[in-house]
Amino acid sequence: MNKQIGFIVNPIAGMGGRVGLKGTDGVVKKAVTLGAKPVAPQKAEEMLREFCAISTSPCDLHWITCGGDMGDNELEAVGIKNKQIIYSPAENTTSADDTRSASKILLEYPIDLLVFCGGDGTTRDIFTIVDRKIPLLGIPAGVKMHSGVFGINTSATAKMLYEFINKRLTIGDAEIMDLDEELYRRGEWKVRLFGVARGIVEPTYIQVGKACFESVSDDEVKDEIAEHINDEMEKYPDWLFLFCAGGTIDYVAKKLNIRHTLLGIDAIYQRQLVGKDVNEEQILMLLEKYPKTKILISPIGAQGFILGRGNLQLSPPVINKIGIDNIIVVATPSKLMHTPILRVDTGDKKLDHLFATQGYLMVVIGYRLSRVVKLQTNSF
Amino acid sequence: MMTQIIKRNANKFLKDEYDDLVKNHLEWNIRILESGSKPHSIVNGKEVIMMSSNNYLNLSNHPRLIKGAIEAAKKYGAGSGSVRAIAGTLQIHTEVEKRLAKFKRTESALIYQTGFAANSGLIPQLVGEGDIVISDELNHGSIIDGVRLTKADRAIFKHRDMSDLERVLKDSDKKYRRILIITDGVFSMDGDIAPADKIVKLANEFGAMTYVDDAHGEGVIGEDGRGIGAHFHIEGKIDVEMGTFSKAFGVVGGLIAGSQDLVNFAYNKSRTWLLSGSHPPAISGAQLAAIDVLETEPEHVKRLWDNTKYFKKELNSLGFNTGNSETPITPVIIGDSGKAKELSNRLFDEGVFALPIVFPMVARDKARIRTMMNAGLTKKDLDFALDKFEKLGKQLSII
Repeated sequence: MNKQIGFIVNPIAGMGGRVGLKGTDGVVKKAVTLGAKPVAPQKAEEMLREFCAISTSPCDLHWITCGGDMGDNELEAVGIKNKQIIYSPAENTTSADDTRSASKILLEYPIDLLVFCGGDGTTRDIFTIVDRKIPLLGIPAGVKMHSGVFGINTSATAKMLYEFINKRLTIGDAEIMDLDEELYRRGEWKVRLFGVARGIVEPTYIQVGKACFESVSDDEVKDEIAEHINDEMEKYPDWLFLFCAGGTIDYVAKKLNIRHTLLGIDAIYQRQLVGKDVNEEQILMLLEKYPKTKILISPIGAQGFILGRGNLQLSPPVINKIGIDNIIVVATPSKLMHTPILRVDTGDKKLDHLFATQGYLMVVIGYRLSRVVKLQTNSF
Repeated sequence: MMTQIIKRNANKFLKDEYDDLVKNHLEWNIRILESGSKPHSIVNGKEVIMMSSNNYLNLSNHPRLIKGAIEAAKKYGAGSGSVRAIAGTLQIHTEVEKRLAKFKRTESALIYQTGFAANSGLIPQLVGEGDIVISDELNHGSIIDGVRLTKADRAIFKHRDMSDLERVLKDSDKKYRRILIITDGVFSMDGDIAPADKIVKLANEFGAMTYVDDAHGEGVIGEDGRGIGAHFHIEGKIDVEMGTFSKAFGVVGGLIAGSQDLVNFAYNKSRTWLLSGSHPPAISGAQLAAIDVLETEPEHVKRLWDNTKYFKKELNSLGFNTGNSETPITPVIIGDSGKAKELSNRLFDEGVFALPIVFPMVARDKARIRTMMNAGLTKKDLDFALDKFEKLGKQLSII
């Protein structure tokens, strides 16, 4: 059967950027007065053009989209006729409500992949509705693109779409990030994990014979990582384990029958939850009781931060007390392909320096399997 | 009669899974050689120039090896009767091991049934819980399986990247009891060589053990084809030199060479060695003759390298990209997987047998034809093959 692709363009995405507003959430009118012009329709068109150029049969796809600049116009512009319009915005100027309404209707269709054009805000609007029911692929057009569903540019997105249709890329986890735009406009950068969507990832391959490889699903890789952590917990029975935020760690927790807070930090001792969604103060109290502690952490977002962005609870006093040798970093190989460098920005020069002198971290990528990954700190 | 209720179809998955492989073009299409592995082989009824076999020195067709096999069979019989440990060690087995150690310039050597049996039998014994195996990211599948059987942790270093290896060693130093570094000697996809001298040096600094799988280097690199130890003039310094009789030696079987301690340990602990029948005498007779030939007829290795150099040079001057190969494995890098397959098919039609290596064995944009040189090919054969490469390379706009 031909693949069904959902297609939503958020025409106002990215308008704030050109006029220095660092985001368009809630400030569209201001952006327009400042002379901002729509950028997303053009980006969406660019991606479609590139896709048609590399694809031998772009018409085999069935596009399910929205009226006007929310998808129809862009598809029309590149000559894609095999489309169906399932939502039309009421007014000329669209808003986040339109993105959400369109996503809601899309859920009723058997869609293989939802391609959308926008930024982190658009991603969150769509994810809030479709959750993990439809895999997402983003055409970057917004002001900020920290979420893992985006190609790095329009042609990368076109290639990913092409490779996905030809079954060379597969479905895996992609983190959706949330940056506080109000704070950001004031110069503060506060990102946190918003959720874990289904996205497109590079499969992991294992050699199964001479010159013969098999692709392993993302879940199988995470099973291996879970087994590894299970062994670690057996090896260190009297240690406290802090499970941080993120899709991989959430998966590991589920495998170990631990009810984990996807977006927060949980404390586990002898496989029992002893602290749920703990803050800095609670962690410090736990460390009094459990001086031997390991942190299980995974890089989140496209920038590869393990400390200093999503998990501010892991403050310098916390890290100093636990010791950097007791940080277990886990990541799937497909994730590491997109984040070849890990970053640390603890806000504490001395601690950052400690990481900087190390320069590299061992990252667990499978059962008892690890590799070194370069580490960068902001201050050095 | 009572009707029997069938709970499940026990064999259905066999067909289902095979059909699935066929649907995705992932099944093996076995090619039949009607001629033996010769420089000019008859493959699926067609005479082709063989550039896909590991019979680098063409020793499988050497009269002395054939004679050695026949005479050993006549003297000792067709089979060995048992596993090595019980009643299956014939004098000829120990003779091969003595001769091999001398050839490899190591204290001792041990024959395994196959190279795979050596890796999967020995590696899990060398390390266990609380140890770590550090491995090049491009290591061969049989090493990976060997490592999977251990309770040891595993870490990967970037292909031939010594600073990456050092980083892993530094990190492992404080955490583990034993450290084992494993690498291919010659990498089978690219034909490049592991910097074994540097690996040994780093290993000594950290008290790590070194294990080199020299399957594609044995009989090919180093003086008279003595392998990777000889290539870097570090004979006896690699803790475990693992190799094979199945490739350049032209017979079959795996081997390890190193200290007497290693050999004593290995045959007492490797389950593959202890639990499979030993080589039939004919195999051992041919193995002995292969070592003889390498020691007394240096022309085979020389011809292999002359052929390799000529073929590589001509391919390059035609405009083909042959990558970083330093050995008789010469990849002809095409880029696109479809094109590489197409070129391989057309080469076969024109009488040259060279297989394509495509994604995911190599990166998406690095699909290639892998050619393996053979000492038995003449200059005329090579010119014939080069002519086909040129013609088809132009037709497919590769050059």
